[in-house]
Amino acid sequence: MDKKIGVYICTGCGIGDALDVSALAKVATGEHKVPVCREHGFLCGEEGRALIADDISNHGVNTVVIAACSPRVMTDVFDFGADKVLERVNLREQVVWSHPAGDEDTQMMAEDYLRMGLTKAKEMEPPVPFQGENLSKRILVVGGGLTGLTAAKEAAAAGYEVVLVEKSQSLGGYLQTVHSVPPLAPPYDQPHTFDLDGLVSAVTGNEKITVYTGSQIKKIVGAPCMFDVTIQSNGSQASERVGAIVLATGSVPYEADKLGHLGYGKHGDVITADRLEAMLKEGRVVRPSNGQAAKSVAFVLCAGSRDPEHLPYCSAACCVESLKQAKVLKEQNPEMPVYIFYKDMRATGNYELFYKQVQKDGVVFVRGTVTAVEDDGSGALTVSAEDVLTRAPIVSESVDLVVLATGMVSTASLGKPYKAQQPKEGEEELEVPADTILVSNLLNLEYRQGPEVPALKYGFPDSHFICFPYESRRTGIYPAGTVRAPMDYARAMDDAAGAALKAIQCVEMTAQGKAVHPRAGDLSYPEFFMQRCTQCKRCTEECPFGAINEDEKANPLPNPTRCRRCGVCMGACPERIISFKNYSVGMIGNVIKNIDVPEEDEEKPRIVVLACENDAYPALDMVGIRRAQYNPWVRVIPVRCLGSMNLVWIADALSKGIDGILLLGCKHGDDYQCHFVKGSELANIRMSKIKETLDRLVLESDRVRFEQVSITDYARLPQILDDFAATLENVGPNPYKGF
Amino acid sequence: MEPKYVSLEMRDYIVSMGAETVNWCMQCGLCTNLCPWRLVPGETSEKFNIRHMQRLGQMGMEGFEDEHILFACTTCSMCQSNCPRGVKIVDNVRAMRASIVGAGMAPANLRPILGSAHANGNPWSGPREKRTAWQQGLDVPTFGPDSEYFLFVCCHSCYDPRSTKVAQSIVKLLKAAGIRFGVIGNEESCCGESMRKLGDEELFQKLAQSNIELFNAKGVKKIITTSPHCLWTFTQEYPELGGQWEVIHYTELLAQCVQDGRLKLAPNASKKVAFHDPCYLGRHSGIFDAPRQLLERTADGGAVELSRSRELSLCCAGGGGRIWAEVPMGERFGELRVMDAMDKGAEVLATACPYCMNMLIDACNSLGKQEQLEIAELSELLAAAL
Repeated sequence: MDKKIGVYICTGCGIGDALDVSALAKVATGEHKVPVCREHGFLCGEEGRALIADDISNHGVNTVVIAACSPRVMTDVFDFGADKVLERVNLREQVVWSHPAGDEDTQMMAEDYLRMGLTKAKEMEPPVPFQGENLSKRILVVGGGLTGLTAAKEAAAAGYEVVLVEKSQSLGGYLQTVHSVPPLAPPYDQPHTFDLDGLVSAVTGNEKITVYTGSQIKKIVGAPCMFDVTIQSNGSQASERVGAIVLATGSVPYEADKLGHLGYGKHGDVITADRLEAMLKEGRVVRPSNGQAAKSVAFVLCAGSRDPEHLPYCSAACCVESLKQAKVLKEQNPEMPVYIFYKDMRATGNYELFYKQVQKDGVVFVRGTVTAVEDDGSGALTVSAEDVLTRAPIVSESVDLVVLATGMVSTASLGKPYKAQQPKEGEEELEVPADTILVSNLLNLEYRQGPEVPALKYGFPDSHFICFPYESRRTGIYPAGTVRAPMDYARAMDDAAGAALKAIQCVEMTAQGKAVHPRAGDLSYPEFFMQRCTQCKRCTEECPFGAINEDEKANPLPNPTRCRRCGVCMGACPERIISFKNYSVGMIGNVIKNIDVPEEDEEKPRIVVLACENDAYPALDMVGIRRAQYNPWVRVIPVRCLGSMNLVWIADALSKGIDGILLLGCKHGDDYQCHFVKGSELANIRMSKIKETLDRLVLESDRVRFEQVSITDYARLPQILDDFAATLENVGPNPYKGF
Repeated sequence: MEPKYVSLEMRDYIVSMGAETVNWCMQCGLCTNLCPWRLVPGETSEKFNIRHMQRLGQMGMEGFEDEHILFACTTCSMCQSNCPRGVKIVDNVRAMRASIVGAGMAPANLRPILGSAHANGNPWSGPREKRTAWQQGLDVPTFGPDSEYFLFVCCHSCYDPRSTKVAQSIVKLLKAAGIRFGVIGNEESCCGESMRKLGDEELFQKLAQSNIELFNAKGVKKIITTSPHCLWTFTQEYPELGGQWEVIHYTELLAQCVQDGRLKLAPNASKKVAFHDPCYLGRHSGIFDAPRQLLERTADGGAVELSRSRELSLCCAGGGGRIWAEVPMGERFGELRVMDAMDKGAEVLATACPYCMNMLIDACNSLGKQEQLEIAELSELLAAAL
């Protein structure tokens, strides 16, 4: 693209008062020989915008550099179309609002930022969206239980074709053996009879939905909008092309055979909650030992749940399910003695009203650990517990049935790890923990990284739910319902609708060549200069989303529609062959090289801050918005993700005479906040290997620092920057200045 | 530890005695934390935990019979008024007591009191014929066809020498306000409120029946009570037994009279006065403003609010039959109440309940503060301002 650059300096919001704008303009017109450079007092106003639009329409400007407010604001005003190159220079939040007006250092900072912006503008090209072939917007739903049926129904109602695959011969899943569900509507004091037949016929009768029962997924090849699915039915195979996938394979009850300490397997009348539910559905609750009607029942909650020996987690639904079963028994016979032994009664939201009703019905609630379920000598059972509320061991009256409320085990967790994780020998090195992929035979993805979506804690293929609801670490695949996390019926239905919407977003964005959340709408994607690839596999290993397959010679095979555009591959590549049209290793390297580094005797050190643009950069903006001041030596460069940081940038900066480099990335670890899962963790690990570079340059390791900041850390940031500057003053100036 | 055995039969028995809401309790423990027993040290405080006691009731398990547990509650309703589940905790306490007392196992110290109520119609071992002795020197009208109100004087104010002044003051005030009222006299019996709280259901039924028959036979339509305890049982418990009258506490009636000008009071006290809300007047019956309005008319020195007042008033420890309990010094709630008043610089601590007056005087004396703080019944201050 032949570029004609226009630079537009806004003098509003205090910029004109704090800076020598004509000196600033000289950086553009003088140093960088920009043909068009204008100032305006209110650039985001109608007149200001018209000024730029006129230059574009009538004077051939196609590369626009706006030196005004933060790139995070006024994005709609300063949008001149995808075919133009746009660069925003943040003079407001990160220069004049956070540094003293009229100061020499503030002016130098503004001029540097303009230089850096111009360098970027010169190197950027307008992105050309990726267009695959034969794109599909159909949605595959795997699993025909409550969640899958709801997801299929909702997606079809929104106008999308759905392919629903169910393993068993009939639709409905666990609900088929369920008597009733907990209350769904006010006054929340009665069990609800769920209309499963209605839901099933709404799905089977919908012409947009193709249903495969008695079928499983044999194989899935491809990427969003281009998934080719092979469906194995009894003896026959079918192929479907789909755009996105809702994984709704649900969960199974924890194996009661492991609960001998609660009498299961020892006494015939100790049964599981799903067995009781089936008996309620059949209309006859009997003692398995003798077939007689059960006249009294004790429930044991958390049977094998929240127990380090069994399932360490809470299954979220069993408390209310047991309340419901107790309520059904009490409705059938109000005089029936019913006990509930529990650890904590987790009946949240409106279920509180249900809990209250069941208490009023006279169910005996005992909070504490069950210590024994024993035969009372006459064939009936007693339950002993350490009752927290009376601080004493207690023994129940004899009961006919003991019901164990077992927890949920995600169907995604049922499988061996795809890659056995080898214990490392020798020197311990920081390493990104590989994703755990369990061969659970649900999706059978032909992905280089393994056949299923990565399993997180306890084998659930969950996501960082606050930031990424319904997402997995595989673009276009959205787990919902109890396969994703333990939940009750009501929440599973919400989950299904949420995942269906995510799937719809995915196919719509992908069809336009745009990225999905969190860089929703981004048209750029990584391109590989394959001639120089050394088949080192770092990009395929480090991509947090499994976007890159491999051929038999270990050459990377990128799948742009699986990509979230974080640039982790770009940061990983030692040959620097991966780049985006508007973001590359060379481009940021040149930005760094264009920072003006004063001579040592001027005593003006320079600090490059590589800031994650999702959290750290907005936090820096917040510092300005709050008019807090920070060190004037810093030059902030926003990066898509700190994981896109290539170590060569540090070498570039140090050999240029920059005194220090500060990396501001997101919190990592178990409660990570990285938008791209492990970008900041990867940056931290790469940092641990920087020593080599520093040693080669004979420089102090103090010159490079990594800090974890979250978006709310704005109050802490000035201190972080000042502390780093103080450290660098102690270390002394970079000896490479002026080389 | 030996295990305890659940007995749903026992649980159901307690429920049938009146603990209808015991199963509603979710054992959050707010009751125990709000209980005034937490504010004092000692054996009862250590043993009595209202949440735990209800837990035993829920499970029909033994362990609540201990006197320090079963009879500790003063029925102040601090817990009940704040229970998130709306559990009628006072009813549960009463029912659990009834399950023991009804079986003839009342504790020894309570037997003479219950016996006196049985025999004499009052718990104070006073002869029935002395019930009107307090009237000496006063021309107290007898209830008759011309009387608008029947004045029901609490047994405490009939027999306790200090408390008779309350009855006498109220009579003077009613007369000054021109109220047409009368008393019935020796045939009246104790209202039975405290007897029922102690768990003697049979005795309560007997006293209530006797009163209802008497009052109805005399043609009573409206009743003035001197004590909030009588007020409460007449309005909350008697109606379903056949006693349906318009019942008013004297403070409410006098406040109305002051408001419409029928009763003129001349402020005379220059002392700083604080008001202690009786539980049965305040939390139980919702009357907070009438006594304050009256107090304002008498106190020149200014009325001060105690830090714990109105809905959050601290119990004197005299309710629920605790007026007959022996409590060691240092464990009496009244002592805290006296200190509350002194903290606010009050010179007079007024209340509107004979039990409260009794308990606060004891507490003031045991602290040796009688020189600094005067305990008064509101009616006494009002009568002095006539």
